[in-house]
Amino acid sequence: MSRVRRPTKVTKLLKFAFNRRSTYFVPFSDRLLSAASRHNAALLLFLVCCGVAVIGAIVIRDLQAANAETERMYASSVSGLQRIGELQYYAQETRRATLYALTTSDSNLQVEYADQTRNADQRVKDGIAEYGSQTKQPEETALANRLSRDWANYLGVRDEVLASILEGSTKEAVSLDLSGGVPAFDRVRQDLNEVKRLYGEDASRNLANLVASSRRSTWRLVGIHSFTLLLSGAAVWAIQRSRMLSAIQLAKLQMEFVASVSHELRTPLAVLNSAADNIADGLIEGKEALQKYGAILQHQSRSMGHLVDEILLFASTEDGTKRYVLQPLQVSTIIDSVVASTEGLIQRAGFVLDRHIEPDLPPVMGDVSGIAQCLHNLIGNAVKYSGDHRRIALRASTTPLEHGSGQEIRISIVDWGMGIDSSELGRIFDPFYRSPRVQAAQIHGTGLGLSLAKRIAESMGGRLSVLSEPSVGSTFTLHLQIAKGDDMQTATAAFRPSPSSHV
Amino acid sequence: MLRRLTTSLIVLALAASPQADAGRAPAPNAAPLLAQQSSTPEPLVIVVNRSNPVDDLSFAELRRIFLGNRSYWANGRRITLVMRDPGEPERKTILRDVCGMNEDQLKTHFLHGLYTGEILVSPKILSTPTGVRKFIFNVPGAIGYLRISDVDNTVKVVRIDEVLPDDRTYKLHVQSQAAN
Repeated sequence: MSRVRRPTKVTKLLKFAFNRRSTYFVPFSDRLLSAASRHNAALLLFLVCCGVAVIGAIVIRDLQAANAETERMYASSVSGLQRIGELQYYAQETRRATLYALTTSDSNLQVEYADQTRNADQRVKDGIAEYGSQTKQPEETALANRLSRDWANYLGVRDEVLASILEGSTKEAVSLDLSGGVPAFDRVRQDLNEVKRLYGEDASRNLANLVASSRRSTWRLVGIHSFTLLLSGAAVWAIQRSRMLSAIQLAKLQMEFVASVSHELRTPLAVLNSAADNIADGLIEGKEALQKYGAILQHQSRSMGHLVDEILLFASTEDGTKRYVLQPLQVSTIIDSVVASTEGLIQRAGFVLDRHIEPDLPPVMGDVSGIAQCLHNLIGNAVKYSGDHRRIALRASTTPLEHGSGQEIRISIVDWGMGIDSSELGRIFDPFYRSPRVQAAQIHGTGLGLSLAKRIAESMGGRLSVLSEPSVGSTFTLHLQIAKGDDMQTATAAFRPSPSSHV
Repeated sequence: MLRRLTTSLIVLALAASPQADAGRAPAPNAAPLLAQQSSTPEPLVIVVNRSNPVDDLSFAELRRIFLGNRSYWANGRRITLVMRDPGEPERKTILRDVCGMNEDQLKTHFLHGLYTGEILVSPKILSTPTGVRKFIFNVPGAIGYLRISDVDNTVKVVRIDEVLPDDRTYKLHVQSQAAN
């Protein structure tokens, strides 16, 4: 517990208090920044990952588009030019084989050349048909038709020339070739050059498109990179700003906390100081007056001690150093102890405590000091906030679990006081939270009581719930697990009041 | 009987093919349409270019053509005679059954005809049946001979004296290649 007095512990406490309180009191932007502060590294990583993922996706998409464009260009232009090159080659081969047949008088060789020229012309026919099937523009279609027609004309002459060669009429073959074959083949060659020119123009257009697309992709990438940099910068700025806000609000909270604790301590200190002065100045005479002053000093010093204990207990539950030993406990025994310890408080305040304990309650699993502290805080709050209705009820019963099968023990503290507004129900368990209505009514407190009770309940595997209505009253219920099996048999034997208990 | 019927149907189908399809005929090096016959003797058929309108020749006309005494077809196309190398069984059959000469006599006949101008061109000599087929496919006025098993649809078979090669009265037969 000595560690609690270290400044670091208090700072942690304040930070926790800040985190809880800021959720409700700071503007949305600052809450956002506060959240960023808590998860700054993960957030930054997430943002950078998002940016990288987006950039990666866009780069991949652009690369795929560029690849598709290149493939399309290759298919439509480069391979087209290759096909035209092949067409030109086989057209030349058709003519060359025909002319080779002129160079020999051996019929067997001539037949071979005839065979070669026919094989070559078949390839040209196939190539022209393929080109014709792939044309899109009217100009290309007309050119394909013209090429097909001119090639057929040339083949007609070629067949005559070939027949003349094979017949042995070389002169006639040469004459036919010069008069008909050469002009016909020239027309074919011009057509092929025209096709090649169209392919070249198409390739140039596609290349220009590719270059433009590449430039667009580059600019897009630059833009995306810039955006990502801006995003990263904004994230870093937000984190820095949230840290700065955290520091400012932490400092503010430190001041508020110090003021609050000082205020809580000042009242008993003032009483102690005044009483001490009176005694020192000899203003107190008589045994009765001294006893009265002694009681005052005792009460105020206990109040101060209680406040300090509460703060230290809160610190120990906050950092997890406080551990509760769970064991089967008799509910009625614990309640008796709590009632006995709070009897003075209740009587001084002029309250009446109604007990409604269900008979034969099974033992609960819990820690004696924890349950006692919890109930003590709840009864103290009931006394503090009941106003003129000086009546409190303490009820204990076995109730089926709200979720799942089985039962639980519920110990409720009921008051008919000022109640809690529904908008505040979610905040009353936050450390240091104090309702504006309570503050306006000048009811003193640290705002740690309910928070402590809730944590203690949860540390024991239970929970704390509240039902309240303004001007009607409040019911705080401690839900505890019922001891099972062997635990129940040792319930009575295991109960040993803790030395630190308030019971 | 079945073999004769099959051969007859194929030859008829070849002969009945429209001449307009001559330019679109398959390549001459396509596989022979008719299965090789294992029995001997095998008909030796007279084949012309598919564009040639002639479907039937008399034996006398055939003799004149193979002796170079007829140089033009009825449509005005010059006749180009295609023969196999000397010593080939097909050539021997033509010399014996059509020309009625031996090699020397045929040689002398053509030398004399060319010298006197009665014969315009000497026969073209092809060393293989495929060469013969391709030659006839490429030359509209060509005429030659092939074993019936070497015939495909790149050339047209003509009847001799109205007789198809599978007819019993068909005169031209050659010993099978296995027997050679």
